[in-house]
Parts: sequence; structure tokens; C-alpha cells
Amino acid sequence: MTPQDITKLIVRVSMKDRAAFDALYRETSSKLFGVCLRVLRDRGEAEEALQEVYVKIWTKADRFAVSDLSPISWLVAVARNHAIDVIRARRPAPADIDAAVDVSDPAPGPEALAVAGSEGERINNCLDELEKDRAAAVRGAYLNGDSYAELAERFSVPLNTMRTWLRRSLLKLRECLER
Amino acid sequence: MSLADDIGPDGGGDDLVAAEYVLGVLPSDERRQAALRIDAEQAFARLVDRWEVYFAPLGLGYADVEAPAGVKAAIDRRLFSGAAPGQAAPSAPSLLSSLAFWRTLAVVALAALALYIALPFFGPPAETPRERLVASLAADGSDVRYLAVYDGRTDDIGLSHVSGAAPQGSDFELWVIEGQQPPVSLGVIPQGASVRMPVTEVLRAKIASGAVFAISVEPAGGSTTGAPTGPVVAAGDLKAI
Repeated sequence: MTPQDITKLIVRVSMKDRAAFDALYRETSSKLFGVCLRVLRDRGEAEEALQEVYVKIWTKADRFAVSDLSPISWLVAVARNHAIDVIRARRPAPADIDAAVDVSDPAPGPEALAVAGSEGERINNCLDELEKDRAAAVRGAYLNGDSYAELAERFSVPLNTMRTWLRRSLLKLRECLER
Repeated sequence: MSLADDIGPDGGGDDLVAAEYVLGVLPSDERRQAALRIDAEQAFARLVDRWEVYFAPLGLGYADVEAPAGVKAAIDRRLFSGAAPGQAAPSAPSLLSSLAFWRTLAVVALAALALYIALPFFGPPAETPRERLVASLAADGSDVRYLAVYDGRTDDIGLSHVSGAAPQGSDFELWVIEGQQPPVSLGVIPQGASVRMPVTEVLRAKIASGAVFAISVEPAGGSTTGAPTGPVVAAGDLKAI
């Protein structure tokens, strides 16, 4: 399926076309389940989250028209934001956060990098301009849904310091991305 | 801890909050506040969308994992089985209220969209309903989006400009493409949020037979060769509604 095909499906879903919704689920559910699983690290929770995600896609597909995201990225954003809502709402942090992070290496594999291709170059180049551990914190937050509290623990700095760090990194990133 | 404590008043304000929301690092209560602002404040929603676009390439690194069987059936039960008692029973009350919120919002937005599409076409009542086709024109890697509506009754195309501007000194040109045939120009798209373009007899047949619309960037005034010369920045095919 080309991005244009996915776009068409999303537009048809916004017009409450159930056949399009079925096709969209077939084409994209493994990607979005991967997102939920990576962030939630629990199959049961990820399964429940995936349901919520497609309910949201059905009800808010019309919003795709006003987003500048590509269709797949828009769907990933819906899934990622929902999964992060779920982990933020649950108990503070899993006890074995370090072990869990080891399992899910924030760096994407070579295939994923190839997929990201040239559009991914800009964000990756700008992340490379940050200090190494700060870039790792940003990538970890984005891909794993790490909270400020979890990042502070991992990098052994106070919470406020972590937040200052990350905000400064975001300002530097913005400066680079807008260059 | 507020932003001002850290970075100072010029540190980015809303834009940094938008970035933190997209990154996902905000604590639960601040994240909820940001989500409410996305719904209520268009300017804030645009900041969030821009950060989503910046970070989106990282998201392509997520591995595909096949979803467990049965999830789709559960989704369909929740969405389409009517108001059967006991169906909608998610655990957290906040979730329930947020779902209700989304549904209401979606219905309102859809009704508004439908009205928006249909309003220009409420002429004198026609004796027989004529075909109405809609296309969402967009392309990967481009921010140009249009919603195109063709109404067989009025024989013109209504174009709603959603986003994206033509570069300085150039115009958008609308093309209709039928199968393997070369694109045929419908003309330069006039400036404006909502514009109409007339359709000739010949093009009417093409449109009715399931053609694709495409928008290219052309020198001001349109292509002089009769074929697209610039990049295609948006395209989409026509669906009956």
C-alpha cells in the first residue's frame, strides 16, 4: 500500500466507511501494535491500547486533514500518544526499568533506518549535534515513552536537572531543525 | 517547576510544552492539560503538529508486531454493536468521559465538514439526484492539501484549501488524469480558502469515469507546455459520496 492508498482509507474512514476501516486495520494494525507493545512492554496492556487506538482513529479520522503528518506517521502518533497516556496514568514506574530498557534498544535497526531514509536525516543529524547522552535521552523518550522521572533515574540526576537538560536539548534541536 | 524557573521567559513557552508533549515526557496531569489545549487552541495544536512532523521519522523505527487475533472483533463490538448494555465498560472513568468527548467531537466535526462540502451545492432542488464526488488531495512529503468536490449538477469543482502555499512566483495547477492518458489541465487554482473551477464537457466524462486529480507547482499563470512541468504536490482519486 502506498501512502496515498492509506490517505484514501483514512479519508473514507472519516466518512464512516466501515469497509475502509477494515482495510485500514488490516494494513496498519501490526505497525500500531508494535508501537503499543514497545511503549507499554506488556502484551495484555498493548492489546487493550490497540483497541482504544482504533476507536480513536474511527472517531477522529477527520483530523488527519488538518495535520501535516504523512498518513502512517499520523496513525503512529495516535497510537504513541495513547500508549503514553496509559503509562503516564499507571503507577509511577516499573521496578525493573533498566532491564526493560535494555531489552528495547532505542536505536532502530538498519532496515528501519533505511525506511526513515532522507526524511529521517534532518532529525537524526540534529540529534547528532547534541551531546551523546542527551540525544539518547531524547530518542529514549520518543521511542519508549520514558518519563522525566525514569530518565532522571537512569541518568542519575535530580528530576529538575533532567527536565532542564531535556528542555535545553529541545531548544537546540529546534534551532537546528529550523536552520 | 515551571518553564520560567529553567529557561527564562524567552525559552519557548508553548512551543516547548508542545515539544515535551510530543516527546511524551510530561507527567500525567500536565499531559492531560496539554491534550485539552490541543482540542481547544488551534495555535497550540499547530505547534504540536509541527513537532510531531519533526520527530515522525524516528517513529518509522518501530518494528511491526502482528496484533493478536480477536482485537478487531472487539473493536467492532465496541464501535458498531449499538448501545448494548455492558458493552462499553472500559475500566477508568476518565477514559469513558474522554471517549464520549471524542465521539461528540467527531460527530460535530463530521457534521460541520458535511455541511461545508454540501452548502455551496444547495441550489434549487434537482429533479433527480446527480453524482457527487469528493477527493482528498495530498502527497507524502508535501504539506499541500486540498479537498475537492465535484458535483454533476453544477459542473464545476469546489476546492477547499486545507494547507500549504505555492512558492513565491508560482501557482498551483489542477490536472485530471484518466488511466494511462497524459494529464489534462483544469487550469490554475485561484487563490483563496474556497474556490470553484469550471469543468468542460470533455473533462466531465473523464471525471465521471474515475479519474485522479493532481496538483503541480507551475510558473505563475500556469504551465506553458500543456503538461505539468513542476513537482506534483498533492493528488487523490475521486470517491462517490
